[in-house]
Amino acid sequence: MSSFAHRALRRLRALTRRGDIERELDEELALHVALEAAELERQHHLSPDDARRRALVAFGGIERYKEAHRDARGVRWLDELRQDVRYAARALRRSPTFTVSAVAILALGIGACTAVFSAIDAVVISHLPYPHDEQLVRIYERNSPTNQFGLSVADFQAIESWQRVFSDVGMVRSADAPVTAGAVPQQTAVGYATSGFFRALGVTTSVGRGLVAADDSAGAPPAAVVTHAFAAQQLGGDRAAVGRTIDVDGTGYTVVGVLDPRVKVMSGRTAVWPDAQPRKPTRRGPFGLLVVGRMKEGVTVADAARDLASISRREFVVWQASFQDRDAVLVPWSLRRTILGDAPQSLGLFAAAVVLVMLIAAANVAGLMLVRAAGRWREVSVRAVLGATRGRIARLLITESILVSLAGAVAGVALGVGGLRVLKTIGPHVQRLDEAHMNGHAILFAVVVALIAGVVIGAYPVVHLSRGGTSDGVLGGERAVGGTRRAHLLRAGLVVAEFALALPLLAAAGLLLNSFVRLQHVNPGFDAAHVLTMSVSLPAPRYANDTAVVTYWTRALDAVRAVPGVVSAGLGDQQPLTGDQGIDENNFDLLDRPVPAGTAQPVTPWSVVTAGYFAALGVPLVQGRMFVPNDTGGPHPVVIVSRSWAHRYFPDGTAVGRRMVSGGCTSCPPSTIVGVVGDVAYESLSDVPEGAYEPLTEGWGRSLFLFVHTRGAPMDVVSGVNAALRAVEPAVTLADAAPMDTRVAASMADPRHAATLVGAFALAAALLAAIGIFGTLSYTVSMRRREIGVRLALGARGEAVTRMFVRRGMAQAALGAVVGLVAALIATRWLSATLYQVSATDPATLGGVLVALLVVALAASWAPARRAAAIDPADAMRAE
Amino acid sequence: MTDHADLLQGTLDLLVLKTLILGPLHGWAISKRLRQLSDDVLEVGQGSLYPALYRLEDRGWIRAEWGTSPEAGGRRAKFYNLTAEGRKQFSAERSQWRLFSTAVERVLKAT
Repeated sequence: MSSFAHRALRRLRALTRRGDIERELDEELALHVALEAAELERQHHLSPDDARRRALVAFGGIERYKEAHRDARGVRWLDELRQDVRYAARALRRSPTFTVSAVAILALGIGACTAVFSAIDAVVISHLPYPHDEQLVRIYERNSPTNQFGLSVADFQAIESWQRVFSDVGMVRSADAPVTAGAVPQQTAVGYATSGFFRALGVTTSVGRGLVAADDSAGAPPAAVVTHAFAAQQLGGDRAAVGRTIDVDGTGYTVVGVLDPRVKVMSGRTAVWPDAQPRKPTRRGPFGLLVVGRMKEGVTVADAARDLASISRREFVVWQASFQDRDAVLVPWSLRRTILGDAPQSLGLFAAAVVLVMLIAAANVAGLMLVRAAGRWREVSVRAVLGATRGRIARLLITESILVSLAGAVAGVALGVGGLRVLKTIGPHVQRLDEAHMNGHAILFAVVVALIAGVVIGAYPVVHLSRGGTSDGVLGGERAVGGTRRAHLLRAGLVVAEFALALPLLAAAGLLLNSFVRLQHVNPGFDAAHVLTMSVSLPAPRYANDTAVVTYWTRALDAVRAVPGVVSAGLGDQQPLTGDQGIDENNFDLLDRPVPAGTAQPVTPWSVVTAGYFAALGVPLVQGRMFVPNDTGGPHPVVIVSRSWAHRYFPDGTAVGRRMVSGGCTSCPPSTIVGVVGDVAYESLSDVPEGAYEPLTEGWGRSLFLFVHTRGAPMDVVSGVNAALRAVEPAVTLADAAPMDTRVAASMADPRHAATLVGAFALAAALLAAIGIFGTLSYTVSMRRREIGVRLALGARGEAVTRMFVRRGMAQAALGAVVGLVAALIATRWLSATLYQVSATDPATLGGVLVALLVVALAASWAPARRAAAIDPADAMRAE
Repeated sequence: MTDHADLLQGTLDLLVLKTLILGPLHGWAISKRLRQLSDDVLEVGQGSLYPALYRLEDRGWIRAEWGTSPEAGGRRAKFYNLTAEGRKQFSAERSQWRLFSTAVERVLKAT
């Protein structure tokens, strides 16, 4: 055994088997004394008692030797640590005000940090719930650096037959469809998938079997798998579910298996997964499928990209008749990256905010520590004189601050649990955030943060203490030390740092709030307060042909219009501001200005609507005409465009009468623009509100959104509208009835929550900075009581004294705020993407928060400064 | 008490190793042997003996084992035994000491 290992083992034994070693030492020393006594007894003929006494005297104090022995054993530090901890705990108990405020401040910082860390851990750091998620890619069709979309069946089948890089490829087409498991159809999130989708993800079933390749072929008995939750709610449990037949939008599927409840597939929203059984397509489109592939061992994303690019070239030739965009290429993206989306950025904002709050909290506690250390200087000096080494005293102080911050960590983790719940409800809308929880990682994180904070906070006063001579302390006490220039600079430095850290946070909060307020004033383009919307789906078997569908919709609209309180009603295939699901877009080509062959055509949000749609939503006509019931498509199709669209493509106001082809269809007759209507925000309030509409005529869908303009509150007519719709067709599926203004509010949830959370952090930061300046200034005043007394006695006026202290406080705050402003100017640029119509360096906002912070500083300096002026000179001079 | 000499710093280790050359001894026996060998001139403070024993054990030069001591009436005692490394250390320290003492002697003899 190497001598190092030998010694390490012995040290370890010395620590872990301390009791044994002490006992052995006792035994050895007792034997020594006994033998010595026997010897003395023999040689000097002493009585046994005398001999023993002499032996003990000769040995000297046994305890002292034990101590020397412990030193040699290297366990002294442990004993001292124990003493330090005991001493620090006692000292902290003696000053409960300090302890409670320091622990509370740190708990706030550590709690916020830990909550945000848990979120980041779950969303960004942890793996997806699929085995070897690094091998998974999602494949998109991309035709320009900024435009990519889901694949078509033609794309998917081309990849399936020609690819060489994936072990499995699968597709999903997501839809909301009526699913009948019991008596009543329920609108349910459905994912038409191929068996390869589950194989690629590595998702298995817990009961029954998964989808297999045989299920994919057209003509195979329709099979579906369902989630555990769906099986439990609709099918009477996992076992009962397998073998049952459920109706999905008119087709009966046999449930063959229940998915593993431990794995959430994609967003976790989809409950029913029927086999898609994709047929041989007749054209390249339509697009919108989600395709995932698992790369074979050793294949990189770049390899997959090369393979897919060559497939794209081969496929283009096959479908050239129905798709001319030669730029469109199949591209793979790491699934992790596509799922995370912009989560790292939006969580990064909160991470930055909490780090700033934590730093301010630490600076604040360091300030408290400094004042406290100065107050204890005499005690520390006495210890030094009595032989404590400087290192030992430093360790004592650091132990104390570590104890405080560990207590802060315990309270912080408790706070963090609540904080995480807040973050989940009003945090940024990112995938997988709901999976975050306080786990071992988070607790370890809190402890590490606490230890670092403890050392830093404790070391700060040590730097200051260890410079002074001990005799100063014993003789002069607190005033001699706390009043030195050095001590003053250290305290001022903390205040400056706190304000420098608080300002960028306030600036970010101000900018987000400003942006949110602007967003609130955006006109969504419709009468949000008086529009009711819901989704309406017809049962498939009875509405197999277009005539039946058209008849229903026509009769249903008439019935709804007859409901009391309803002004008008219309149908559309899109819902403005739906958030997640996104909006259908369509490409188009203007006949006057066609794009060069083989390049990407422009796209715009595309809705298919009835003539009554615009009236129901309250969208005004700007130019030309609205749709009329006999706009039936055929050889002369018509379109209506939005004001922004018209302005972009025909700024001279000549949009009406122009013609375009849409959807890349070369054989279709071109559509004529017959009208320009007001802008409607489809994607989000902050996007450019362009859009185009075509009349809902042939091929009326079986699932549409109903829009009802109401005289009073939209929800008042819900039951009447429901009854009217059911009177025409009892088996109709109705879902998601809501006034449009709740959609508008929901679409603003993210910016509102970002502003709220960052705002809360900023307030905490400002408050902590204010406490910092208040505490420091109060201390300075108490330190200079006597001097102030002299000044007042010599005729200085109260206001002059107040001004002196306010000036001092404000100087520190202003210096910090200016440093912070410079930092903010650099850092807020990072927010640009999240801001709406506000520059990241908006002078009004930045100036505003600067002034606000200085006002807070003024208020916090005022109280101690006033107290200084109120000092009674006689009292102050007698006191020392 | 006759003339006792204080031990020079660092010589205790050497002397302890020397007493163990002939065989294992327990703590008290080591101090007694030192007294005997030095004709009662060298009195090892017990307070330094035991920490020294621990230190030597720590360095791997001696090894401790519990055994029974006849002179203590069969009581359990901790016997210290020289390791091979300890032997090497002893000869190294001994030559060092000789070098040192002759040098000191030479200096003192000089006129």
